[in-house]
Amino acid sequence: MRIYNPSFGLSAASAEKVTLKPVNWKTDAIALISNSKPNARELLMGVREKLGAHRQVENIKFLAKNSASQPAPKDLLQEVATNYKAALLALGD
Amino acid sequence: MKDIADQEVIDLEDMDVEAFNEFAAKQGWSDGMPLYIPTEAKVAKFVETVRGDNRPYPPVPPRQIVPTIQALAANAVMAGCKPEYFPVATAAMRGVLDPDYNLHGTLATTHSCAPMVMISGPIRHELNINCGSNCFGQGWQANATIGRALGLMLLNVAGAKPGEMDRSTQGNPAKYTFCFGENEEENPWTPYHVQRGFAPTDNVVTVMSGEGPHNLNDHGSTTGIGLLTTFAGGMSNPGSNTIYGKGPMFVIIGPEHAATLKRDGFTLDTMREELWKRSRVHLSRVSAENLDTYATTGHKPDGDWLSIGRSPDDIHITVAGGPGKHSAFIPSFGGTTVASVRIAR
Repeated sequence: MRIYNPSFGLSAASAEKVTLKPVNWKTDAIALISNSKPNARELLMGVREKLGAHRQVENIKFLAKNSASQPAPKDLLQEVATNYKAALLALGD
Repeated sequence: MKDIADQEVIDLEDMDVEAFNEFAAKQGWSDGMPLYIPTEAKVAKFVETVRGDNRPYPPVPPRQIVPTIQALAANAVMAGCKPEYFPVATAAMRGVLDPDYNLHGTLATTHSCAPMVMISGPIRHELNINCGSNCFGQGWQANATIGRALGLMLLNVAGAKPGEMDRSTQGNPAKYTFCFGENEEENPWTPYHVQRGFAPTDNVVTVMSGEGPHNLNDHGSTTGIGLLTTFAGGMSNPGSNTIYGKGPMFVIIGPEHAATLKRDGFTLDTMREELWKRSRVHLSRVSAENLDTYATTGHKPDGDWLSIGRSPDDIHITVAGGPGKHSAFIPSFGGTTVASVRIAR
């Protein structure tokens, strides 16, 4: 017998290819982004402290979404893209 | 040979329903209850019913694939729908694809939300959709299978596999199915779809990512204000998502309660205002830790109170159910919207 696959779909044609540029983890600016759930900020503070043992931390900054349940707003994404070479996300839960 | 997951049509040796269900479970296609077999012939019958809607579907998050109408129909077949139910299920799918519905967030969350599907318009009677007694419950094929079809689409097309992409801490029985009709005939105000700008003769599906119905029992109050006091008390919940993730909610009023409220002169707007004022949560009922978190994430109290939504407009009101002194409150995920879609046939 022949059946239709209930999970079949086509790849989104508009998917953009992203070219990742190399990151220098010793010097580049890094965004530490919290999803605003409890303990996300604490987790990122620990990450920043650990990184501090290996590099300068002045250009490692904390950012946050206003709502864990919503996508990051465009201005936040733009800020990360403009000012940072890497972003680390903490999903507190 | 192509992997089964990449094939639109799959050749299988003939098998009975039991064997198909074992096969489907192995593919991850099942919600745990028995499935019908989505044969080519059955799917073709379903596809014939949606000729009035030729718009392509956008990519479906979180999986971000573009579904074919045949794949959606296969899920409706598996759910046990009749072909004539399929336009309702596809309209519900379009509703959850409204960007403001936040499908990715509502499917991936630890919250227990499930897609609530409410049907308005003459199609309720054509399809024998239950709008009266036990409307949220069992016993009606249309209610049971249309809601289930949407759940299977979200499982198989969107990729909301429990424990993987669907991270709900405890889940919710409404994830199997949550579909009911408005009781327009016993609604003394305006039917919900007309409140939303549709014509009374339009057939409309409304979706919201909600919790299951919370009962609002009031056998004692004989006045409208008494009923609203009870309703608001049931809505005032410091454990609700909407206390910080502000968003919509439904109050589904039973016909007997609706008659009392109408008799006492309440309108949709005055009910919303009263419920808004009376459902606020006093800070004494909120933990210090939560107050700290709300303060740092921009959800500050108004004096000594936290509201359970952004404004009275977040409280959506309609009538459903049968005889008895019960109504229901359906809070949402929070970061979502209510989407209403005309059923195209």
